[in-house]
Amino acid sequence: METTNKWSVRDVITLVLMTVLLIVMQLGVNMICMVNHFVSMVLSVGITMLLCGPVYFLMVNRIRKRFVSLVYMTLLGVAFLLMGSWFLLPWFVLVGVIAEAILWKGITPGRLTAAWTVSSLLYNGVNLLPIWFFWDTYSEFALASGMEQSYIDSYVRYYSSPGWVAFILVFATACGFLGSLIGQKLIGKHFKKAGVL
Amino acid sequence: MERRSLAVLAKAGAVLCAMVGVSLAPDALQTWLLAAPAFGQLLYQRKLRLALSFGACYLLLSLLLYGIRFHGLRMVIFSEFYVLMFFSLMPVFVTAWDLISTPPGELSAALSQIHAPTPVILGMLVVFRFFPTMKAELRGVHQSMKNRRLTGPAQVLCHPAVTCEYVLVPLLLRCLQIADQLSVSAVARGAQAPGARGSYAATGIRAKDLAWLGIWAAATALFLGMGGPA
Repeated sequence: METTNKWSVRDVITLVLMTVLLIVMQLGVNMICMVNHFVSMVLSVGITMLLCGPVYFLMVNRIRKRFVSLVYMTLLGVAFLLMGSWFLLPWFVLVGVIAEAILWKGITPGRLTAAWTVSSLLYNGVNLLPIWFFWDTYSEFALASGMEQSYIDSYVRYYSSPGWVAFILVFATACGFLGSLIGQKLIGKHFKKAGVL
Repeated sequence: MERRSLAVLAKAGAVLCAMVGVSLAPDALQTWLLAAPAFGQLLYQRKLRLALSFGACYLLLSLLLYGIRFHGLRMVIFSEFYVLMFFSLMPVFVTAWDLISTPPGELSAALSQIHAPTPVILGMLVVFRFFPTMKAELRGVHQSMKNRRLTGPAQVLCHPAVTCEYVLVPLLLRCLQIADQLSVSAVARGAQAPGARGSYAATGIRAKDLAWLGIWAAATALFLGMGGPA
């Protein structure tokens, strides 16, 4: 890894551009998945990580500097902060630090896969943290927005049942892993051939 | 009609006040009290088209919220949660869009004046230009797919993975190309040069900017004072 190289203007612009694209994709998929309670609560994180895996792979492979994952996760946390979930900012900073620790000794496809798979697992904090630590605030807002009690009941059922929580975590992790493999394949198939990496 | 644009600092102050007010709002439904100065700011600057677009959107969200709360309306593809979230965040959206649509030269000059680091200035400018650029690129990708008859419902439903690839790969390639073009442009315009950046268009703080800062500070204090922070 080019640890001694300073960040260039191109690195900064690429990082910000790809990070914003990732955030828009993540929030967009999350919104679309709200069409159904099961899809929203059980599958949405997995689908998000599957679709965003190739973009993350491309971003890190293109920049190949330290702290790319940390900056990306921090900006994702800031996006959630702006939407009112302040507790997700320190959470995503922590996820970014863990991803950086995995990538610290150099960027290899294996480490990158590990970093994204672990990030996918920890991304579930978006749904699990409110019910574990901020349930009162979350349920108040949900009720004020006029959501059906059935939505809140589903939320409690999926995120307080050990079986469902285990399934959600395994599904998101598996999708993150699959997204990494697709990312690797797409990079080899398209981006290296196009000469952008 | 000549516009009466506010300085970047005044617009940034409005975004900050709106964010603080919305974040600490005791009742999300009361955030219309912050939306009023936000729309007022647009109208003062004679950004009529922008005010009309956001106004129509806000009216639609208000009607949806009314239907959800009092007539049991259920959303099909857009959660009730997001209706209230977007309704309450509207003051932030309006003020942020006003800031985002400021010419890049004015923005970078203002950030440079407050000694923001170059990566922060570049990052902000890229974020602000992201949405219009991506909109144009997505339109191009869609047109290209349409020319090849790849946008039909049967094609999309039968081959979702391939469709994703058709969208994602050209979009990402364009992103990388845009990043390269922007970096060349930024370096050519002296992004790495030491010293504060200036702009012919940049203006200092005037009385009207101070007045709007005062209006926002008063509106936020009044808003929070009415119900106390959440």
